[in-house]
Amino acid sequence: MLSHVIFLGLFYTVLAVLSATVALSLFRAAQDFRVRRAEAICWQATFPDLPARERVCRHEFTGEFAHRTCDKAFDCRECQTHAALVAERPPDAAPLSREAHQGEIFGLEFPLDRYYHRGHAWAHPQPDGTVTVGLDALGARLVAEPDAIELPAVGSHIQTNGAAWHVRKRGADVRILSPLDGEVVGTSDSQNGWYLKVKPDGGQLDARPLLRGAEIRPWIAREMERLQSALAPAGQAPTMADGGVPVDDIAASYPDADWDAVCSEIFLQP
Amino acid sequence: MTAITPKPARYGMAIDLDRCTGCGACMIACAVENNVPPARPEATPRTGITWMRVYQISNGASFPDTRAAFIPILCQQCGKDTPCAAVCPQEAVETDPATGIVDQMPQRCLGCRYCMAACPYHARYFNWWDPQWPAGMEKTLNPDVATRMRGVVEKCNFCHGRLHAARSRAAAEGRRELHPGEYVPACVEACPAAAIVFGDLDDPASEVARLARDGQSFRILEKLGTEPKIYYHTARPWVRQAAAQQRPASEPPERRLRAGLPAPQGSGQKDPSHA
Amino acid sequence: MPKVDSQLMPRGVRRSTPRQFLLWILPWCALLAFGLYGAGLCLVKGLNQTNMDNRFAFGLWIFVDLTVIALGAGAFFTGFLLYILKKRELKAVINSAVVIGFICYSGAVAALLVDVGQPARFWFTFWHPNVHSMLTEVTFCISCYLTVLFIEYIPIVLKNRKLRQVPSFLVFEFELHKLMPVLAGVGTFLSFFHQGSLGGLYGVLRGRPFAFREGFAIWPSTFFLFILSAAAAGPAFILLTTWLVSKISGKPLVRPEVLPLLGRISGILLVPYILLKSIDTLVWIDSTSPARGFAAYQYYAWKPFGPWILFAEIVAFGLLPALILLRRRLRESPAWLLSAATLVCLGIALNRFVFTIQTLALPTLPFDPFMSYLPSWQETATFLAVVAYGVLLYSFSFRYLTLFPQEKDLSC
Repeated sequence: MLSHVIFLGLFYTVLAVLSATVALSLFRAAQDFRVRRAEAICWQATFPDLPARERVCRHEFTGEFAHRTCDKAFDCRECQTHAALVAERPPDAAPLSREAHQGEIFGLEFPLDRYYHRGHAWAHPQPDGTVTVGLDALGARLVAEPDAIELPAVGSHIQTNGAAWHVRKRGADVRILSPLDGEVVGTSDSQNGWYLKVKPDGGQLDARPLLRGAEIRPWIAREMERLQSALAPAGQAPTMADGGVPVDDIAASYPDADWDAVCSEIFLQP
Repeated sequence: MTAITPKPARYGMAIDLDRCTGCGACMIACAVENNVPPARPEATPRTGITWMRVYQISNGASFPDTRAAFIPILCQQCGKDTPCAAVCPQEAVETDPATGIVDQMPQRCLGCRYCMAACPYHARYFNWWDPQWPAGMEKTLNPDVATRMRGVVEKCNFCHGRLHAARSRAAAEGRRELHPGEYVPACVEACPAAAIVFGDLDDPASEVARLARDGQSFRILEKLGTEPKIYYHTARPWVRQAAAQQRPASEPPERRLRAGLPAPQGSGQKDPSHA
Repeated sequence: MPKVDSQLMPRGVRRSTPRQFLLWILPWCALLAFGLYGAGLCLVKGLNQTNMDNRFAFGLWIFVDLTVIALGAGAFFTGFLLYILKKRELKAVINSAVVIGFICYSGAVAALLVDVGQPARFWFTFWHPNVHSMLTEVTFCISCYLTVLFIEYIPIVLKNRKLRQVPSFLVFEFELHKLMPVLAGVGTFLSFFHQGSLGGLYGVLRGRPFAFREGFAIWPSTFFLFILSAAAAGPAFILLTTWLVSKISGKPLVRPEVLPLLGRISGILLVPYILLKSIDTLVWIDSTSPARGFAAYQYYAWKPFGPWILFAEIVAFGLLPALILLRRRLRESPAWLLSAATLVCLGIALNRFVFTIQTLALPTLPFDPFMSYLPSWQETATFLAVVAYGVLLYSFSFRYLTLFPQEKDLSC
């Protein structure tokens, strides 16, 4: 009788543990949707699936680390190492330059008056407290004259590292990562230079996860390398000569490339 | 069923190998009593169902010294650490403590055949086909015994149905005990040489208990420790060596002859389907 | 070149064209159809379609079941090493290991349903369990473990490129993945018991002194030996399959240090296994078998099962690959590594063969001959159906799911 109890007891315990595991996951998933963490989780869930070369820590760009992979899904707000490194640097009174245009990087314009997200969206704080969000020069070259753009509705909420808007171009279907948390108060096509006007959560843009100033150049240098590799036909070494300037519509120049793979590489879509 | 509790017994058999003529009547009686289906044409000695099976052995000598003997093998109703009962995953094998009979429940059998791998006496048989009786032959079915279905294991149960019938009769007459000979399995009844003795091993006065105690009686594969309840009796040393010896027929013939053992067998097992 | 089904494939990796893929799967589909026909015959006409009989109650299917379950042990063991012991390098193969494990166990269960005489009664074991029977233990554990494998398979499927676009799938996958150590722990616990009980199936057979072993409490020594051998075979099998898939697909799938690591794990586990198996064999030869009236040398007088079989199992397929896998220089050479891994897997198959087939071939009654058995075409067809099912499921998984996370990094 005792052996019966032990045996069946173990079996039912195993079943209970398995059911509890699945049930708990379902419950937590439902909760994530309720507290609107779903977008951030979608990003966190897929971030490890990005190749290692896409997960390089920003502090490798500035030479502070020889080699480091991000383990916080590019959310520098959560990162203790980032906080420590920022604390060591003397606080910058004016992190952004006042001048909009300053220097070209590989023939691309990267205005230094705004913050840049690793996914090639930028966030530009406006005097009225809103933040405009647009696509940087490299991103714009990749999806120039898109086949379709899907912008979020006014009044909807976007999250840092969540989807800001969707773009379709020649077989590529990418979502552009959002650089901030906030409520969308205006949308526009690229005529105005920006796609979204956002009222940031907490009244002020939290720029911790965004790149600025001296980080831009080394970052874009690497992005160009990655772009060259992605554009090269499979198995061949990249052939773009140094000093070459990306044309306005890169897609048109590379009719054979798998555009979806190229865009996924640059826009960090696993 | 009855308000009278029958007296517990430990049923067993003693088979006299010096009387067994190898006629096979026990095999036929068993099949008829227990509704064993006729073998299909494709059946072989290894796929046919023979709850009772008579093996033939010889002393390996050449003419005119050749001698044969016959060993009926049936379920040995193992009394200790019953191999088949221990391994059945569905508890379809039960040892009845009041009779010592190891009972098989075909209705619960999954057909996994683990018990068949476990039985060292190869006393368990599987229904490889759907049981089928040719037209008209269903009239020969014994109404007191359930037939089995395809894909289940079956074996000798000391004609348990006959035990129930005998007990019912005894209970109707208000008796707790069965008279000797009131309950005998079909094979015992059929044997023309009266080679099989059946009874309560725990009853010191019974014939089977006396034979079991006899110095010339032995059990097969005794060292396995399963306490079988079938005793075999023979006065011939070579038969005893052949049957009691736990040496498989793998050794070279010369060695076996020196040891007084029979030559390796192309076993002449009796099979009613090919009678 | 966008392919018809490229939307379903993982990004950043190359896959064959739909036409090439179709050419690959068609013969396996044909094999599956043929195998299902053989299995169907057994289910409809009865097990007389096989060459099993009252002496060979177990045949090809049981032998194959035990072997694939031992080889599929890589799933639980890799999970244990990764999620419990935190050996991060094994992330490279865990997805593939889970799929292979799922294939092995689901295939084995499917074959078992054809093997039993009354498949519709499978639930009887759960309703009337005999807790003293090893087979009950096996049934319960394997059912639970198949469930665990299925639950572990789900996240891999949900991460498919098209499916992951549904936010609820992705969020559920994320939450489930956080609890993966629990699943890995349960999987390890269940695997420990059923791998062991499969060994226990034969170790408890008092009626078969060839297989019977003494042990610890209710567990014969074969219980522990089967666990150890399965744990040793699992990584070796993953090694072999990863290499094979890499060869067939023509792409590097894991970093170069991963396969030698698997080989080393296998080698490390082989050492205690060989040691304990040798001791167990000596004890069996010296006391266990003779105590039951059978001198061990008699078992090996039957052709073709001579003493070479013992030597093969312990030395050629056990000690030899262990020595190879423990030497770094040999591990780094693919030829040595793969040969050793193959020997390990063959050794485990031989061990399962000895216990399933040889046990039943050897006579127990003194006047019985040695039995021989060869599977019928229906039995072989059923076995091939399982193989075809495995190849097809793995092929589809490889094409549409990320089985090898390092492939993306290596495809540049």
